[in-house]
Amino acid sequence: MNMELSRRGFLKAAGVGVAGSTLGAFGFPELEAAEAAAIRPFKLTNTMETRNTCPYCSVACGIIMYSKGDLRKGETAEIVHIEGDADHPTNRGTLCPKGAALKDFVKAETRLKTPMMRKPGSDKFERVSWEQALDRIARLMKDDRDANFIATNQAGVPVNRWTTVGFLAASATTNETAYLTYKVVRSTGIVAFDNQARV
Amino acid sequence: MTDPGSIAPNPASIGRIPAPPFARLPDPRRLFEARRERLEFLAQTSALAPYLRFIAGIAAGQNAIQDELPEPQLPPADEIDRAREFGMPPLDRNRIELDDILSETLSRLFDAVRPLAKPDEAQAALDRVSAAEPAQMRDFVRSVLADEIPADALAEHVYVAAGLQVHFARLAAKLDKDRLPRIGDGTCPCCGGPPTSSLVVGWMEAEGTRYCSCSLCGTLWNVVRVKCVLCSSGKGIGYKEIEGGPGTIKAECCDNCRAYVKIFYQQKDMALDPVADDIASLGLDLLLKDSEYRRGSFNPFLLGT
Repeated sequence: MNMELSRRGFLKAAGVGVAGSTLGAFGFPELEAAEAAAIRPFKLTNTMETRNTCPYCSVACGIIMYSKGDLRKGETAEIVHIEGDADHPTNRGTLCPKGAALKDFVKAETRLKTPMMRKPGSDKFERVSWEQALDRIARLMKDDRDANFIATNQAGVPVNRWTTVGFLAASATTNETAYLTYKVVRSTGIVAFDNQARV
Repeated sequence: MTDPGSIAPNPASIGRIPAPPFARLPDPRRLFEARRERLEFLAQTSALAPYLRFIAGIAAGQNAIQDELPEPQLPPADEIDRAREFGMPPLDRNRIELDDILSETLSRLFDAVRPLAKPDEAQAALDRVSAAEPAQMRDFVRSVLADEIPADALAEHVYVAAGLQVHFARLAAKLDKDRLPRIGDGTCPCCGGPPTSSLVVGWMEAEGTRYCSCSLCGTLWNVVRVKCVLCSSGKGIGYKEIEGGPGTIKAECCDNCRAYVKIFYQQKDMALDPVADDIASLGLDLLLKDSEYRRGSFNPFLLGT
């Protein structure tokens, strides 16, 4: 479908350099040569534009993240700007104040990057491994469920409720993730549950 | 997409922000005049000033000749409907005839360009193209519309391309913008032309969306951002610019088809023109010449770069 290929092929086949450019043909070849010489000391920099979903709430607005550096060439990339994705049907480029401040959210020094635990009686959080964190969460949930699970109501009808624990899930997930989250959480009997797939 | 009167709910659209228009038709009276103004402004600081002033002169001619030209005729309505039905552009470039109106457009443009200051090569090419017989002129027109401009008569064809831009912009302006078919990301919905460059616009109700600019008729059509306009790949798109630049002119480089098309961020600089700034940013093309990417856009005033 690339019509320019045939044109380019022709120009290449004719074996033309500067003389085969519009500038050359109109009698301005020295301008092109001078521009080439003037531009040579300059370098090119690369910006990436990457689509993503805002992580804050269940509206799940589309965003475009701008980063400097080229990951494809093995460089590191750093986010320099985030804005609403004008092509996204939900927000059409608009963002709420929280979404508009996403870059600070990404770059915040206090941003949670690993599981942290504040032990009983301690005044500070310590880093723990995912293994430790998940084991601890599972242990505490199991203990709480064993202690507080309501299998039947006063009339003896089975209700299988677990009302002492709540569960809040993230917004920027796929339908499949939201489905699985719902199935897992509801099958434990948790009542207070928001998987942010409600909009 | 959002229609408050619609009964069927659409969970994706929640606001009252309208979808951006698919296409913006050219205003031939404004198009070339704006290009001339921009070229003359850029010539004040550019090292390419003599060339920019020459193209500005052509743009002035493209605008001025319209005063006395008869109105061009659109194809019959049933042909336009049939083109739409089969997803083809309403202006069929293969069936454009060298009729009286097109001939007059071309000869008037050549007359308008004649008094401009220009190098001998440009003058000689103008003399040759002005004297061309109808049969030869037909060949020129056919080559330009096929985007197959031979290197040995490049300048002649560029003059013809400038005339065709006027003719097609006036034709496209008469089309119904709400009944244009979406043909492909890199194909103009009016005339099937390839893009010169693309613009991220700052228009009311379409801010931050991207429009491709047709190299022939000047129509702007909407294409999703972060997507190659040549091969429609959304993977491996990078934006290259000259280091230290203001971030308003970048080359959208695609790792899939290894080509680039320039993208202008009009929401940062309203004055950017899809054709004028493409020419004035020749330096970016020259830097990319040694890269793995080739120029994939079409601009008759910047061929062979």
